[in-house]
Amino acid sequence: MATARDMIVDAMDIESFVLCESEKEAKELIGKLMQSLGLARFVIVSLDFNGPGAHFRVRAHMNKPGDSYTWLKE
Amino acid sequence: MKILLAPLDPVHDAGLKLIKRKLEALGYQCVLLPPDITVEEIGEAALKEKVDMIFVGRTVGYGVEQLFRRVRHVLTVQGVFGKVRVAIGGMAVTHELAQSLGFEAGYGPHTTIEEIHALIERNPELARHITHPVKHKPEFPFPHDNAVKDPTTLKYLDQIVDGILEWTANKTSPGVVRAHITESQLQDVKGSVESYTALPFTRDYLGQCDAAVVDFFQKNICPPSVRQITQQEVDAYNHRIDIARKNFHPRFLQHGRKKPLVFIQYGTGCPMMDGMHIKVAESWGADGVLHFDPAWGARTEGLLDGFLTNAEDGTPVTYANLSLIKRSLDDATLWTVRAHRGLNTPEIAVLAGFLGADLTKINIVYGSICGGTDPARLTVDGVDAIRIAARYKMPFDIPTNEELAGVPPHKAFAGMLIMAQLGRRLGAQPILKPLLCHGPYIMVNELMEQNYVDYNFAKIRALQTLADFPIWPGEPIGFMTHTEEKEQSATTTSLHVALCATLGLDAVTTASTDEAFSRGPITSAGRVGSLRSIEEAFRFFGQTEIAPSARAKEWTEELIVGINQTLKAVAEAPSFVEALYQGILGNKEDGVYPGRAGRNSVVAARPAAPAAAFKAPADTAPRVSSFGK
Repeated sequence: MATARDMIVDAMDIESFVLCESEKEAKELIGKLMQSLGLARFVIVSLDFNGPGAHFRVRAHMNKPGDSYTWLKE
Repeated sequence: MKILLAPLDPVHDAGLKLIKRKLEALGYQCVLLPPDITVEEIGEAALKEKVDMIFVGRTVGYGVEQLFRRVRHVLTVQGVFGKVRVAIGGMAVTHELAQSLGFEAGYGPHTTIEEIHALIERNPELARHITHPVKHKPEFPFPHDNAVKDPTTLKYLDQIVDGILEWTANKTSPGVVRAHITESQLQDVKGSVESYTALPFTRDYLGQCDAAVVDFFQKNICPPSVRQITQQEVDAYNHRIDIARKNFHPRFLQHGRKKPLVFIQYGTGCPMMDGMHIKVAESWGADGVLHFDPAWGARTEGLLDGFLTNAEDGTPVTYANLSLIKRSLDDATLWTVRAHRGLNTPEIAVLAGFLGADLTKINIVYGSICGGTDPARLTVDGVDAIRIAARYKMPFDIPTNEELAGVPPHKAFAGMLIMAQLGRRLGAQPILKPLLCHGPYIMVNELMEQNYVDYNFAKIRALQTLADFPIWPGEPIGFMTHTEEKEQSATTTSLHVALCATLGLDAVTTASTDEAFSRGPITSAGRVGSLRSIEEAFRFFGQTEIAPSARAKEWTEELIVGINQTLKAVAEAPSFVEALYQGILGNKEDGVYPGRAGRNSVVAARPAAPAAAFKAPADTAPRVSSFGK
């Protein structure tokens, strides 16, 4: 039985704003966030730190080209 | 028919005013109640005016369900509900909500007057073109004179093209030989994918291939990062495509404009992922798609075969892969298969032609000085590929991505015009493909410090002054103006599209919002983001145009002078091929140099012998699963 996650074509982006005091801290927080969500295969697509924190978009890869795609399984 | 329009808001009744105006234009008699009325007053007005139907509108979304529940109750008590037809509408109203409350229909903020008309008349056909739009494949490219207008430019171009045709006469190469073998085999099997992939490979074909390709066919060794796709995967994929096709409603981006058509490029590495991205792009309004192959495919003599997926950028060109993608396309989608720059240029043109691709891509100059292929080799192969394109009636576009390496636009455009005139002389249909980019030459010379409009404007106007060929900027537009930030990326793409609309161009190739993201593959959501932004740019600008400053005119004139000076230098060189080696169309100072792949592989042509089938000995490794040739 396919799960909702299985039906994602390629990747899932999470965009938000995290309160922090540096770009480095923002990256650490994003890493912790993704681990806590069980999304180990991730990459930060964009990150813009200023003032209260960072605007970011992080991408969790569900199916990369060449994988055996979850959306092709019964 | 008499219709009562009743706004259930204190002030907002714009929607119903609009509906009133449009329904009256269709011949209906309408009574519009003022805002700030009670539910009871709606029923009283309906009875007094003896209306046939009531539209109750509510703009404010909160509490809408309770409100309409009360509307129904009051109208029922008044003896209106059940006697007079009642529909409801507003920001938070859906058809499902309306039906669950017992109303005839509900209309949301995007409901068209055609849909309301169909509802009133209970005739869905009146809105069929809205609810079930049909997209037809356009005749592309759009009509042009396809002629060089400037006499000086024409004189140099004809001189250069005469030289190219003379130089390539009686010359051939492994790429040309393979193309003819492949074409002959495809003719034998009438283009059947199953029959073609089941063919035994031939000694003649493998004799013209690099060791990696020979190993693939004889020892079942795939290049690194490539694997074979199983039949089970293909079947499951085709099922997914059928589902996508069943639920597909075409979308039109141009807001009434005929052009530019919007293309996206794909080449994730996997034909199945490509196919899914194509379905997403079609569904969000793309008019066409372009196939991109991996870079190693251009530097390797010979093509692989069968269903193959690559874990890196660029989807391997095989007849089976292209057929899988072809099957995925909507009938209205224009399909380009890039052939242009490598050692397999003519053979890819053959595969594309046999599969009915609408377009292909060939540029000897770019491939020679920027794509890594030897100029002599690609001149021979490019001429053959253009002849193939003409034979299969595939217009070919001429990319000028050498600008991204630092070649000045006037040199890149000179090369593009040589290719266009060569194409015309060989009976093909060329399409100019300038870059609208913030390339190195432009950066160093600070030509776009103030804006991205003026110099791009000048580039296109220079081309349009010299010749009337279709123009389709890419690949993609706005190259090097994108950042990894999604909104910025979508915005710059859509503004470049708007500029192309102003310039009257035929098509554009557009990036996803992942254009500047280089640490992973492009995503389907990124394609949606760009296409939605493009749609909004078309909506915003409509038929209005973007005006450049006076600098654009000066730059246009400078570019024209530069193009003609470059063409003169090429015409005066010992040959076109020598001009490429000498760097007249781009040199090391610019950032490019003649390619080496296929060097010394051009040979004198001789009559071709029929291809001899070669079966692998029993003690060698098996052929590639169920396919190979």
